[in-house]
Amino acid sequence: MRASWLPEWARGLPWLPLLVLAAVGLCAAIGEDMFPFDPNQLDLSAAFRPPAWQEKGSLLNPLGADNLGRDILSRIMAGSRVSVIVCFYAILFSGGIGALAGMIAGYFGGIVDAVLMRLIEIQQSIPAIALALILAAALEPGLSTVVVVIVLTYWAWYARIIRGEIIALKGRDYIAFARVAGVGTATIFVRHLLPNIFNTLVVLATLQVGQVILFEASLSFLGLGIQQPDISWGLMLADARQYITNAWWAITMPGIAIMLTCLSANVFGDWLRDRLDPKLRQL
Amino acid sequence: MLLQVENLRMHLHLRRGVLQAVDGINLHVAEGETLGLVGESGSGKTLTGLSLLRLLPKGSGRIESGSIRLDGQELTTLPEAELARDIRGRRIAMIMQDPMTSLNPVFSIGDQVGGPLRNHDIARGTALRSAVVDVLKRVRIPSPEDRLGDYPHQFSGGQRQRIVAAMAIGCTPRLLVADEPTTALDVTIQVQIIALLRQIQHDQGVGIILITHDLGVAASLCRRIAVMYAGQIVETGPVRAIYRSPSHPYTQALLAAIPRLHSKRTRLAAIPGQPPSLIDPPSGCRFAARCPMRMDQCAAPPPTVDLGDGHSAACWKLAN
Amino acid sequence: MLELAGITKHYRTRNGVVRAVEDVSFTVPPKGTMALVGESGCGKTTIAKIILQLERPISGTVRFEGADIATMSRAALHAYRRQVAAVFQDPYSSLNPRLRVHRIIAEPILAHERPGRAALDKRIAEVLDIVGLPATAATLYPHEFSGGQRQRIAIARALALQPRLMVLDEPVSALDVSIRAQVLNLLQDIQAEFGLTYLIIAHDLALVEHFSSDVAVIYLGRVAESGPTEPVFANPRHPYTQALLAAVPLPDPDHVLSETAATGEIASALNPPSGCRFHPRCPHVFAPCPATVPPAYPAGAGHHVACHLLKDSPA
Repeated sequence: MRASWLPEWARGLPWLPLLVLAAVGLCAAIGEDMFPFDPNQLDLSAAFRPPAWQEKGSLLNPLGADNLGRDILSRIMAGSRVSVIVCFYAILFSGGIGALAGMIAGYFGGIVDAVLMRLIEIQQSIPAIALALILAAALEPGLSTVVVVIVLTYWAWYARIIRGEIIALKGRDYIAFARVAGVGTATIFVRHLLPNIFNTLVVLATLQVGQVILFEASLSFLGLGIQQPDISWGLMLADARQYITNAWWAITMPGIAIMLTCLSANVFGDWLRDRLDPKLRQL
Repeated sequence: MLLQVENLRMHLHLRRGVLQAVDGINLHVAEGETLGLVGESGSGKTLTGLSLLRLLPKGSGRIESGSIRLDGQELTTLPEAELARDIRGRRIAMIMQDPMTSLNPVFSIGDQVGGPLRNHDIARGTALRSAVVDVLKRVRIPSPEDRLGDYPHQFSGGQRQRIVAAMAIGCTPRLLVADEPTTALDVTIQVQIIALLRQIQHDQGVGIILITHDLGVAASLCRRIAVMYAGQIVETGPVRAIYRSPSHPYTQALLAAIPRLHSKRTRLAAIPGQPPSLIDPPSGCRFAARCPMRMDQCAAPPPTVDLGDGHSAACWKLAN
Repeated sequence: MLELAGITKHYRTRNGVVRAVEDVSFTVPPKGTMALVGESGCGKTTIAKIILQLERPISGTVRFEGADIATMSRAALHAYRRQVAAVFQDPYSSLNPRLRVHRIIAEPILAHERPGRAALDKRIAEVLDIVGLPATAATLYPHEFSGGQRQRIAIARALALQPRLMVLDEPVSALDVSIRAQVLNLLQDIQAEFGLTYLIIAHDLALVEHFSSDVAVIYLGRVAESGPTEPVFANPRHPYTQALLAAVPLPDPDHVLSETAATGEIASALNPPSGCRFHPRCPHVFAPCPATVPPAYPAGAGHHVACHLLKDSPA
């Protein structure tokens, strides 16, 4: 897009993905009370109503209705809230814990590094679903369990990448100079390491959005995540699964929502990665 | 004349603007002669070398005008396929600075030295093997028969640069472009590679363009020198003329700015400022802003003044 | 001023023990310029790191004005760091790209004291002025400067704490020829003005001869020859020093390079040769060379040569 009236920073923005992400964010923010329809409103006369453009469809349920006659569009909008909340906490904690672990392992090296790396390897060899099953049995299934499972699965991913970055950064002469000048370790972390891994963190976080949404959907689909009457995209898939032959829209529509959101997050993440790389920015 | 380059212009079309990397240079290399292309980083010496082979940065590099003739054959208009088949690696070969990145770590050196010979259909089968052994002998790799299956990491830095040289001379090229061939090496190894290049030239009568920033290396290898500054050749001539009676103020300043072994500890004559940006460079003499002998005339492009014996310099001071 | 005695440093790697520095001793005279010269991998940078306390030797002592830095108290070590500064080779890697010049130069100051905003600004402007940059440079980021200017910023940062010893690790080798002279002259001016002591690490022999008052030639982790620069360069006694000097291509078309002064290549520090580490490449090798490590024989005032040839023909 080459709109010359746009300010410089806005040119080349991935508009479509941003629009999708903004829509998801907006739905999550305003909450179901403000929706035109109550997503949990049963209307058995509308059960299995197909999308509006199909025969027997109705504009009352633009994307159709499920087996209990609940409006699918409203439910997708309501489900976005779970996705956004899970993304926020899961990314905050897995990124935070992972980055800190990666920084400590990379900077101090030696025995600290060895211990943390073994921990990461062990973590990465445990199947996420098995971990989820155990945790769901130990804790209550629900939003917080979903977040805990995702954090436990993903912190190692951050830690590994950040550790590599820190090892490269540690060799920079400005770190050596800071040590020679007697600058404290805490200052080195805050002034020299953190700003230089910030780009990587932002990019990793955006790339994780898609994965978290999928993960939450899988857990809810398996009954280990969000429970009725709360609404989540994964749960919608699980509910609609048995009617797939007579009401394809009930499973396809939330599926498309998941796909669009993940795709948008990934495209935006890729754009951000290129944008934040000073080498790519220059030419 | 082996190589004749006339008024060559190669510009890089970047998002920030057009970078006049090589801007109207003339040079020639006779058979068996070594021409030193001397300049600082960003002076365009490496891009000049790459332009000869039309190995330009993809997308941005473009030869705007000028001619490059090898044995009378025009290269700027030669179709890409023909250039790849007959010229690159065959009649013009190249040696790059870093032997570690010039060699592919996952192929044996026998494979890599044999590569150009195979690609240009010069030898196959057992003939190929003996040709590879022969060329490795010529670059003085000890017992090459036993080392064909070895990989680059099994050789030392100096030997790797010998192997890179072997790849370059395997097809008996007419012209060898050596871009900083000794810069990555230690001095005691550098001497050995300088000797090797001399010997290659002596044995094969190949013309060499030596691209370097090191005035010492250039003096030890070259018969003629061309000094580049900001995309242009400011002075060219026989090596003695350049070092004994440098005429362009830049050449003079450069020679005064380097510390010399076994000379008195005097203060170095620093050149103030830094080279101009080649996006939108000054329209007149590009060295004028840093030149101690700057005059009003320098705002116009300086004429190239013939100083006799193939020695010439582009400076208004000499024109008057 | 600074005295190294018997410094040895080995690194354990997957392929074995790298004997990077072996029994290195030398003294840096106050207000002088000591040069460590040698080829890549000879251990000169490791020695600098040991002096800067970025590495710890496995044996030997570093004394700064008589005090052993290994046994210093925390406070004494902090004071030592204040008096010792460094300038590194690569002006691109030595400045944090995400900090403004002001913050870069302020960093060492803030590690040691808490000046007020105005006092800090004034000191930063002062050191920028010393290195020939305008005070307005403080508001910019490193990428807005050329390589030579970045090296000036690195020098300004090193000067910020008014150190007494400055370790210069290849300070100009990443710069272009025409910029090198500017930076070298600046370093000499600063030394003359503030009475600094320099320890410079370099591979360029002409530069070392031009810049230093004393020199130690290092080969594979050991000092081959050391002494005042003038006699060492005018009358090198160690075959390695002779080979190094003979190998430098001079900017003179009539100079003939010696190709036979040192044959072969530098051995690996993983498995260094026995006895004199230079013996496999030495044109004068004889019986004792592979057998025993040559001691440092005196060869004139302050001039020492670790070569068996000097045993019977002292200075």
